[in-house]
Amino acid sequence: MGDAIVGVVANPLSGRDIRRLVTHASVFPAAEKANMIQRMLTAFGAVGVHRVLLGTDLGGISAAVLRAVTRRRAAGPGARWPEVEFLDGQPIRQTAQDTVDALRRMVTAGARVIICLGGDGTARVTASAVGDVPMLALSTGTNNVFPVVREATIAGLAAGLFATGAVADDQATTRAKLLEVRVGDRAETALVDIAVCTDRHVAARAIWDPATVTQLFCAFAEPDAIGLSSILGQLAPVTREEPHGVTARLAPGAPRQVLAPIAPGLVTAVGVGEIEPLRPGRAYPVDARAGVIAVDGERELTFEPGERPAVRLRADGPRCVDVPAVLAASARLGLLRLEPPALSHLHRGPTAARVRSGS
Amino acid sequence: MTDTMERRSLTRDQLLGAYRMMRTIREFEERVHREFATGEIPGFVHLYAGEEASAVGVCSNLDERDTIASTHRGHGHCIAKGVDVGEMMAEIYGRTTGSCHGKGGSMHIADLSKGMLGANGIVGGGPPLICGTALAAKIKSTGGVGVAFFGDGGSNQGTTLESMNLACVWNLPAIFVAENNGYAEATASTWSVAADSIADRAAAFGMPGVLVDGFDFFAVHEAAGEAIARARDGGGPSLIEMKFTRYFGHFEGDQQTYRADEVARARAELDCLKRFAARVTETGELAQSDLDAVDAEVGALIDQAVDSAQAAPLPTEADLLTDVYVRY
Amino acid sequence: MARTITYREALGEALAQEMERDDSVIVMGEDTAGGAGSPGEDDAWGGVLGVTKGLFHRFPGRVLDTPISESAFIGAAIGAATAGMRPVAELMFVDFMGVCFDQIYNQAAKFRYMFGGKAVTPVVIRTMYGAGLRAAAQHSQCLYPLFTHIPGLKVVVPATPYDAKGLLTQAIRDNDPVIFFEHKALYDLAGPVPEESYALPFGEANVVREGGDVTIVTLGRMVHIALEAAEQLAPSGVQCEIVDLRTTSPLDEDTVLESVEGTGRVVVVDEAHPRCSMATDISALVARKAFGALRAPVEMVTAPHTPVPFSGALEDRYIPDAQAVVNAVKTVTGWTR
Repeated sequence: MGDAIVGVVANPLSGRDIRRLVTHASVFPAAEKANMIQRMLTAFGAVGVHRVLLGTDLGGISAAVLRAVTRRRAAGPGARWPEVEFLDGQPIRQTAQDTVDALRRMVTAGARVIICLGGDGTARVTASAVGDVPMLALSTGTNNVFPVVREATIAGLAAGLFATGAVADDQATTRAKLLEVRVGDRAETALVDIAVCTDRHVAARAIWDPATVTQLFCAFAEPDAIGLSSILGQLAPVTREEPHGVTARLAPGAPRQVLAPIAPGLVTAVGVGEIEPLRPGRAYPVDARAGVIAVDGERELTFEPGERPAVRLRADGPRCVDVPAVLAASARLGLLRLEPPALSHLHRGPTAARVRSGS
Repeated sequence: MTDTMERRSLTRDQLLGAYRMMRTIREFEERVHREFATGEIPGFVHLYAGEEASAVGVCSNLDERDTIASTHRGHGHCIAKGVDVGEMMAEIYGRTTGSCHGKGGSMHIADLSKGMLGANGIVGGGPPLICGTALAAKIKSTGGVGVAFFGDGGSNQGTTLESMNLACVWNLPAIFVAENNGYAEATASTWSVAADSIADRAAAFGMPGVLVDGFDFFAVHEAAGEAIARARDGGGPSLIEMKFTRYFGHFEGDQQTYRADEVARARAELDCLKRFAARVTETGELAQSDLDAVDAEVGALIDQAVDSAQAAPLPTEADLLTDVYVRY
Repeated sequence: MARTITYREALGEALAQEMERDDSVIVMGEDTAGGAGSPGEDDAWGGVLGVTKGLFHRFPGRVLDTPISESAFIGAAIGAATAGMRPVAELMFVDFMGVCFDQIYNQAAKFRYMFGGKAVTPVVIRTMYGAGLRAAAQHSQCLYPLFTHIPGLKVVVPATPYDAKGLLTQAIRDNDPVIFFEHKALYDLAGPVPEESYALPFGEANVVREGGDVTIVTLGRMVHIALEAAEQLAPSGVQCEIVDLRTTSPLDEDTVLESVEGTGRVVVVDEAHPRCSMATDISALVARKAFGALRAPVEMVTAPHTPVPFSGALEDRYIPDAQAVVNAVKTVTGWTR
């Protein structure tokens, strides 16, 4: 096994969409994203990650991390950070393509795990570009379903332990479900939900008005989630582990009404018609003749009469690092235990594998 | 249909109107660009070409109760708020038939009867004035709003920041629109704006700030529509940052050596008029022939405006001393 | 029906009567009420020196306190004026004009002209000026010359309670931007003021004392210094005519020139600095238009070309006093070729 390499991408543009205006969505400054990365670097250093590849941006995140890395080098040896390589040299377009380009370089360079900081949109883009490399989506902001809400240091420890090979794949990762929508030769994937809206145009992208949604497809629907999937999460919950998904038709006047937390600070009544399970592999046609298809809460694909979009649930979504599982394994295997020389006689059980032994 | 759905669904007439407005701005600016090069137009002009979706996306949500204040790059806002195009052209040529009788020029075109407080030669001069008109609307309960347009350069000016604070303290029906075209004169906004994004400055004043693709009429129309509805409802001020590119220099005559080639790419791939046309013809909301008809009419309108302006009389010496005061 | 009230009360009365008469009159400024957001009293100050006290409760919603953001709220007053209100904004000390001058001289002053006669900006900006309270360099200046210089602005400098009420009433009714200068050392000055509402026209100077020997042209607090000097000179047979300009823009040239035609000798008393001031303005006016009548050069009595000092010993030397005026009168009356 070669060097333990971790890739990190952070989306500088997440969290400034129209939801800030129409809901109480949070403000998540770039400085905080940069802090999260630094916390992860500390964790990586503690568990023996050799190299971290970091995407660059014009939003101040990588600049702040660069400042911190430079100051650290200047300050001399202390708590070790891994070597940080900034994936520079490519023009920054300030679009999702920047993230995709960076991810491709990380995969090619042999990253063992890729962490993305952002919302559902960032996770979706990351999933589309990581191939078989496991990912870990860390939530920044309040409006997210797929990314995990977890302290960055802990996420860093888990990802780092996995990257060093200290925990086996089957104990460390799970495979997520994936939704796919096809409109003619255009296709998009979603990690959580696909919604069919009555809007004609993509416009301000983010969906926050359930009255515009006529049909909803969910890869999973948790009762304690936020966002569109919460509509079905209360009526017909489906876990991330179950093989199927769930779909329903929505109409404001439908007899069955449910209160759903559609967005931060927005709990609204939604009318739900027919609900049926989403079987993997089957193509489910979209009822509406024309409109816009939103993936993971963002309007993305417009379709016109005759195009006949269809949605499929796939089992081959991205591999995701399971943070609690990795750290539980670490506890079982004693991965983070250190041997103080004078106290070694106090150990019970098998000798702890040393940190940095992964190979 | 919810209020928001109603705001977002544009009728055929509204779509045609938006296209006409954007096309009028584009042709006006392109023509002024050509005419300025002949040396006939006095003083300075600052052209808005490329940014049309911002002015039109915002102003298409406004009515006669509402006021806007603009910048030195004000032709687009003037046109979008309904200032007469012929009078604007005459003003740029310094003729008595101009919007300001030839006494203001490109940087000071205004029409208070249309709620247009003027283009402004002072960066950051507009936002305090909008606090005033928004205050008046609030006191008189007209339901009107005030929109302050400023640039990425203006977003750093103290008057703009003070106005945001005042608008939040007084809970005014004011919308702050930061038109971030990447440059304040010859300096990049990524250098001069210390925040990650101008939209983020809103949080410092306790109001929401959103980032919008300024090349996309529908995105601007939706975001501005929500901000304006919120303000009318007493929800207070908000900040919208448009991101796009200006097609010409800071002023006409600017050699623009500080830029890369982003204009060519923008004109080819991101242009607001092209995108709008592609979208509405794809959905069938409008036909290409509808758009072509508008193009022809606008072309004729601009030609007429230039011809009239060039033939119009210059102000006389008597005009020099008039209108300093209402009554001295 | 006149009774004796102070300069401060006269100003407050003008405001109250105009606000009563016209709904569109609003007041805004820093602590024009005072107490915003604080747990104690509302209207705690009523203006830093109490001019606007009582208006906050009497006219709910029309007296607006502001954060310390002159460019924003002076600009807002100007914007609101273009939208049909008649705002009376307070620039607490004219020394603060530096942070909001653009809105005044580039925006308000120029709207009507730049927009081809299509704008009406009926805003009043009340502001305190003048030395004498040991308030030092940044709170004691007389900056009316800077505003007088700007086409599009009107500048008013009342000397008495009677003038203060009448001129402020006119300022509020006037359809042009007016900068209204109140000398901070005059607020406690008492004088006769009619109870009823009245407006004094701009561009009409007041001959507060008649005399045939010398014309003293002056304004604001200096009117009282001039009167003091005139009293001192009278016993020796020198009769001073004192012309109180009242407004520097518009300027009543005719009254000044008429007086000079009669006396042939001019002393200008102006608390502002000597360069590019009202003193130099009047001197030039007289030299150009009354040259033939002059029997002596014009004498100027002004503050020195220095910032305002703090220490009373120095400030009292800074401000022109009656003795300086007496000396100047003696110079012009004793002058021979």
